[in-house]
Amino acid sequence: MDIRRLEPRDIPLIQHANLENLPENYFMKYYLYHALSWPQLSYVAVDVSRPKKTPYDYPKIVGYVLAKMEEEPTDGVQHGHITSLSVMRTHRRLGIAEKLMRQSQLAMVETFGAQYVSLHVRVSNKAAIHLYTKTLGFDQDKTESSYYADGEDAYSMRLDLSTIREQIRDAADAEGVDEGEPVGEAGSKTLPVREKDLKKVKVGRGLGVQALVEKDESKHS
Amino acid sequence: MPQPLSSKENSLFRQVIRNYEEKQYKRGLKAAEQILKKNPKHGDTLAMKALIINSLGKTDEAFALAKEALTADMKSHICWHVYGLLYRHQKNFEEAIKAYKFALKLEPGSPQIQRDLAYLQAQMRDFQGYIQSRTAMLQSKSQLRQNWTALAVAHHLAGDLVQAEKVLTTYEESLKSPPSHTDYENSEALIALEHLESIAKHNLDRLAVLELRAEYLAKLGKKDAAVKAYRALLDRNSEHPEYYNGLTEAMGLDGGDTSARKAVYDEYAKSNPRCDAAKRLPLDFLTGNDFRDAAKLYLTLMLDKGVPSTFANLKHLYTDPFKKETLESLAHEYVKAKESQSGDESPAEGELKGIPAGLYYLAQHYNYHLSRDLAKALEFVDRGLGLVPGTVEFHMTKARIWKHYGNTRKAAEIMDQARNLDLKDRYINTKAAKYQLRNNETAKALKTMSLFTRNDSPGGPLHDLIDMQSIWYLTEDGEASVRNGLIGLALKRFHAVYNIFDVWQEDQFDFHSFSLRKGQIRAYVDMVRWEDKLREHPFYTRAALGAIAAYLGIHDSKLVVNGVNGSTNGAADDEAEKKKVLKKAKKEAQKAEREAAEQAAKQDPNKAKAATSENVKKDDDPLGLKLASNDQPLVEATKFLLPILQFSPKNIDGQVAGFEVYIRREKYLLALHCLNAALAIDPANPVVHEQTVRFRQEINLKLASLPAKVAEVIKTEFTAIDASTDLKKYNADFLKKHKESAAHVVSAVKIRKLLGEDQKACEKALFDVLSLKTEDWEPAAEAHGLLLQWRSGEAEAFRKAAGETWPEVTAFNPPPAPPASS
Repeated sequence: MDIRRLEPRDIPLIQHANLENLPENYFMKYYLYHALSWPQLSYVAVDVSRPKKTPYDYPKIVGYVLAKMEEEPTDGVQHGHITSLSVMRTHRRLGIAEKLMRQSQLAMVETFGAQYVSLHVRVSNKAAIHLYTKTLGFDQDKTESSYYADGEDAYSMRLDLSTIREQIRDAADAEGVDEGEPVGEAGSKTLPVREKDLKKVKVGRGLGVQALVEKDESKHS
Repeated sequence: MPQPLSSKENSLFRQVIRNYEEKQYKRGLKAAEQILKKNPKHGDTLAMKALIINSLGKTDEAFALAKEALTADMKSHICWHVYGLLYRHQKNFEEAIKAYKFALKLEPGSPQIQRDLAYLQAQMRDFQGYIQSRTAMLQSKSQLRQNWTALAVAHHLAGDLVQAEKVLTTYEESLKSPPSHTDYENSEALIALEHLESIAKHNLDRLAVLELRAEYLAKLGKKDAAVKAYRALLDRNSEHPEYYNGLTEAMGLDGGDTSARKAVYDEYAKSNPRCDAAKRLPLDFLTGNDFRDAAKLYLTLMLDKGVPSTFANLKHLYTDPFKKETLESLAHEYVKAKESQSGDESPAEGELKGIPAGLYYLAQHYNYHLSRDLAKALEFVDRGLGLVPGTVEFHMTKARIWKHYGNTRKAAEIMDQARNLDLKDRYINTKAAKYQLRNNETAKALKTMSLFTRNDSPGGPLHDLIDMQSIWYLTEDGEASVRNGLIGLALKRFHAVYNIFDVWQEDQFDFHSFSLRKGQIRAYVDMVRWEDKLREHPFYTRAALGAIAAYLGIHDSKLVVNGVNGSTNGAADDEAEKKKVLKKAKKEAQKAEREAAEQAAKQDPNKAKAATSENVKKDDDPLGLKLASNDQPLVEATKFLLPILQFSPKNIDGQVAGFEVYIRREKYLLALHCLNAALAIDPANPVVHEQTVRFRQEINLKLASLPAKVAEVIKTEFTAIDASTDLKKYNADFLKKHKESAAHVVSAVKIRKLLGEDQKACEKALFDVLSLKTEDWEPAAEAHGLLLQWRSGEAEAFRKAAGETWPEVTAFNPPPAPPASS
């Protein structure tokens, strides 16, 4: 087992793992949109013990977390969101999901100054709910009725990331960072500046990535 | 030259553009018509009209109109721009680039045209052109940092790192004050430069900085600092083997002293009890008793905890016979020890802890190809099922054991039982469907899949699977269709996979601009590099090999039908067979459609509405009959073949397929190229032996009629067998050398037949395969296929005999035909 950041070349097998495990599926461009917007936030668990069948075999993905930052947070607070998380049935009980989540949460704070992370989970998915609330400390925010395509309700959950922020600050203090501010703190104060002209459709600009942005809350984790 | 319009019409024209941008196509068309009423030859308006009707799906009309627009106004950049956009829409990128360039010549200052051209150049990997475009864009707006980054990226993609760095440095020097360090776009540009130490504190991608720092420190030989750096990384993530390697290397422990090396891992195992890697990785380098002790601890811990992936985590050690045997005996010891402890503790249902976990490990052990004993594997599965009858995992493994026996029927049955034990889990549902496909039950598999797909579109579950790019399903369904003799349907699926790869390649287009705005340049460059060899993926190769084989079959059967290579009687049989197959395909498709409609009817009407209103194009060839009746099957096969040869040249199956395509096209140099590549990969491969002899035989016949230069090259390059070799003897020697291998025996027999030996003798020789006492039954299946192909009277006798040798193999022991359904 190897837990590491997602790379673009992992995407076909991440998509494959998603199709094997979960009813909520996405086309490749949506994975690319995550990988190219927030490459620091998505992680994979790779089965490195698999013997290669051809020289061209790609690392076998047995678990992944696909995560993003909310582009236009309605509450105005910079926060992350878990789009999709799954671990192959054959690789459960190794704590992989938890480890993937923790890596992603750390990066959300470090790189994007996230204040909290949110996610949706099927109300019937007891194992996942246990992981989120008991192991990772998520709070149940509210229930969204008929959130999923098949009509099932979702719990909307969130986890405050201030503990991670403090840990980063403590670590930076201990390291004796001589200049500038602790990374997490700095990130939380100022949002990365980006051009905001994405909405205009110019002649010939076809349906761009922006279409994915608008859609993504209706594509469920 | 823009043709002048009155001011009223000018504002109408602006409205047309606005309508187009806002996708109000009908309004846009109306406004355009108004202008054209008075100015029927107004090029720009004609062009905009073309653009709009193209958006409405009438591409042919749009092209005709765009050409009309150009005739009316050759000097209009709008006309040329639109012409390019139409080509771009058609994915004819070369023509689009040409048109954009014309437009740009007429209107050099247009940022829109320049941008459209630039992104197409990036997509087409015309990096020199891209650099030119990016330079022009920078010159027109040098205050935008994005334009500097973009030019640097262009140089980077073109492979000119020095120039890329120069651009970035120039930009940085032009800044009056250093940029704010929370500014992400800038921090990315910096890291692209790899000026790591100086920028570390300004970079927000902490992990990337830490990783690069550790790597550089190690490379520079600053060992203490490197040790510290790797420890910091392990504190973040102790499940990444590379960090351990980096740490122990920096500590100077990569030599022989395994105990000191192990102590490092122990330290992390202790400080981080939930960590798996620290406990497991030492098993890779420990030997002898050290291995045994560590393996015992690890195995006990995992089995006590009930980790189902224990075997999966250890099986890579099985290439070492000592480790394989040690793990086997440790697992046995574990079960025995547990059994002797307390007899009355019955395991909890659904949990794989303790004894059931040990039995589960052993079942997988005996099911694994390096330690296979299927009877034993079954024994342990059944013991496990006796203890915990409702466990999905034991059912799953039992199904896999039957699969390895070749009993696809039982395997599918039992995997379906596993599915029924946990109906909410898509993983087990997927496996059940896959096993049904392996058992050629395509309709049943689609029904199983439909339990988790979105079925509310008119195309039903299959549409969702294609839409969601479910390559595994399409490929397996295609392969099952081949086995069912439904070649059209199979091609349909393989083409669907081919198209998905086209979409994946097209998907990157928007990111040429998007990533610059986002500033995530490293991820973007990674993506471009990966997309460059996208079709190297085994997903592509497998589907493409399926398609090539199918097209070769179509080509060969045409030869048979035309009486080139068989009796007329055979041709008639073939026709009858074809008709039968077609009828079956139609029936199945009708059934699938009916079921999809039923499924759709069951959906919540509110939900169904949203999906049905989607513009789903009706498939005019759902059975792939048009694909199967293509009169140039070898051209189609070549289309699938080229990416394999380009991106996966070391894949022997690809080279073997390449030979088959090219020899039929009489492209002897290309065939030889494939043959030589295959020989270099595996000279003992039986099919490559066949191809070597076939090539020599054909070349000896054809050499004189080939152009002198070609003949010369073949003479010098084809050295595997000399021109004067006695091929019969050569083949006999081959057989002698490999007489214990069934696959080689089959190949040798094929060649005997080819070299003109009596069919009866060849048939008899095939029966030798049955007496080889091997577990691998697939060569026998091939032999059976050959007998059928030769229309041999012995085929049925062979099948029966094979059925006795391998009583569990479904292919030799088909279930009795079900009563004919209405």
